[in-house]
Amino acid sequence: MPELKVKGVTIVETFAEAFPMVGTRVIITAPTAEWAMISARTMTGFATSVIACGAEGGIERPLSKSETPDGRPGVAVLLFTMDANMLQTQLRNRVGQCVLTSPGSACYAGLDGEKSLKLGSSLRFFGDGWQMSKVVGGRRYWRIPVMGGEFVCEEKTGMTTKAVGGGNLLVVGKSHKAVLAACTRAVKAMADVPDVITPFPGGIVRSGSKVGSKYAGQIASTNHAYAPGLKWHKDSELPPSAEAVLEIVIDGLTADAVHEAMEVGIHAIAKGGAREGITHITAGNYGGNLGPHHFHLKEIVG
Amino acid sequence: MSALSFELKGRPDQRLDLSSLVPSRLDGLNRKEIEALSVATTRETLTVGDAFKVKGRDVQNIHFAGTDDRCDKIGAKLAGGEILVDGDAGMLLGAQMKRGKIAVEGSAGVSAGASMSGGEISVRRDVGDQAGGVAFGETFGMKGGFISIGGDAGSLLGERLRRGLIVVGGKAGDYAGGRMIAGTLLLQGGAGRYAGYGNRRGSLIFADKPRHLMPTYVDSGVLELDYLRLLETWLREQGLRIRLGGRARRLMGDMAVLGKGEMLILE
Repeated sequence: MPELKVKGVTIVETFAEAFPMVGTRVIITAPTAEWAMISARTMTGFATSVIACGAEGGIERPLSKSETPDGRPGVAVLLFTMDANMLQTQLRNRVGQCVLTSPGSACYAGLDGEKSLKLGSSLRFFGDGWQMSKVVGGRRYWRIPVMGGEFVCEEKTGMTTKAVGGGNLLVVGKSHKAVLAACTRAVKAMADVPDVITPFPGGIVRSGSKVGSKYAGQIASTNHAYAPGLKWHKDSELPPSAEAVLEIVIDGLTADAVHEAMEVGIHAIAKGGAREGITHITAGNYGGNLGPHHFHLKEIVG
Repeated sequence: MSALSFELKGRPDQRLDLSSLVPSRLDGLNRKEIEALSVATTRETLTVGDAFKVKGRDVQNIHFAGTDDRCDKIGAKLAGGEILVDGDAGMLLGAQMKRGKIAVEGSAGVSAGASMSGGEISVRRDVGDQAGGVAFGETFGMKGGFISIGGDAGSLLGERLRRGLIVVGGKAGDYAGGRMIAGTLLLQGGAGRYAGYGNRRGSLIFADKPRHLMPTYVDSGVLELDYLRLLETWLREQGLRIRLGGRARRLMGDMAVLGKGEMLILE
């Protein structure tokens, strides 16, 4: 079988295995773009993986004044979990602790999903009876008096059960520097794709994991097949030249969005060609046992 | 399909009840059947064909032409579709309507949008007393939806308003927002005496400081209010460019009742 290459970088004939998630979007606005971003970053802090964070979240994109419900600068935030109850809990806690508390912020629905999640309808109780409800254009908002003035929060936001988590790319290279540069470039390019986030730090994971461990109670452990220091082991999937592997994980509101992000990502990684030191682009899967979404790299590169 | 239009043949001798000329009642009827419908009047028996020239077919898009202040209950209990009134409307325009849109090119009489629960009414010129107020036999005033008035409004605007938004381009009369339960009045040309009388949780937004202030309102000073920005953005999307800004003086009241209502006086 001929090997598939893009600019000299080998695209391994495998697939990224992703799983169903529930997801939502909220829009955070603030007096300045900077403060909207501070609020959004805080809300999505410690939201890299559902393994131990409760949620996977990230900043989808900044929004201009003309794109927000109140005409102020804003940020679109996506949040994903494995089930609706957890998403509700995470949304309430994160908006309550990070957006409500952030100076000048307001929080609005960002999705008209098939189902809805409580947003202001639970946070309103912070108003201790002084909160006011307002219906504008058929949508209900809560005005909660706070020390900084008033926190405006839409009553509910939409939720989708068609979200996809765990889309991924593994980038194998001859040096850490080369792999980091290629992944950074890819994350930046993928940021322009709507409906997706890359939840890990800067969009990149350096500790890709496998399910389970030799230690009881440890639900995930290092993906030893892709750890360059364990190349001697029979399980290793790495060529002798590999010095570093980094992963980009993608969560999306739809499978199509994840597919598009992976396509953009692969081309951005391979942009510099093999001469930059990237040897392989591959993906993580568990033999099809983890989830129903299989993103075959060969089809994506097309 | 062309709009179903009703052109008034001449000024009626008596008041006409046009509440039957709504999409839900006209759907499935041909022109002859529509012309044969009786129009409730004060004295004489009258049919639609006696009073109007009927044209067009689209019952979801109804036009009235040449109507005057005796054409009552246009769009009353409307539950969908659009009505354009090229002329004036009488009393109870869109009263108790639930959904849909009514646009009046002229003025409307008393109780426009009374006890409506949804949909939109826009009146280019003036409305009479009790716009968005309590319809006969109802307990509450407007319960939802949006009324936009280009000119002046009479007394008791939004009386017992429970939900919804009323925007007045001109002046409002006495007792604007009287006994409001909730909802919002946006008053660009001020109001008469006793605005916000008995207000429980409603909002009265004044473009300028009102000439008469109820003594039962207490001052909370000037605040940044993102709600005003939200409202301004939404109004702009509806084609109403009204500058609200984000700062207003907030007075809470009416302290003679619940006291959780407010007057926002724009800075």
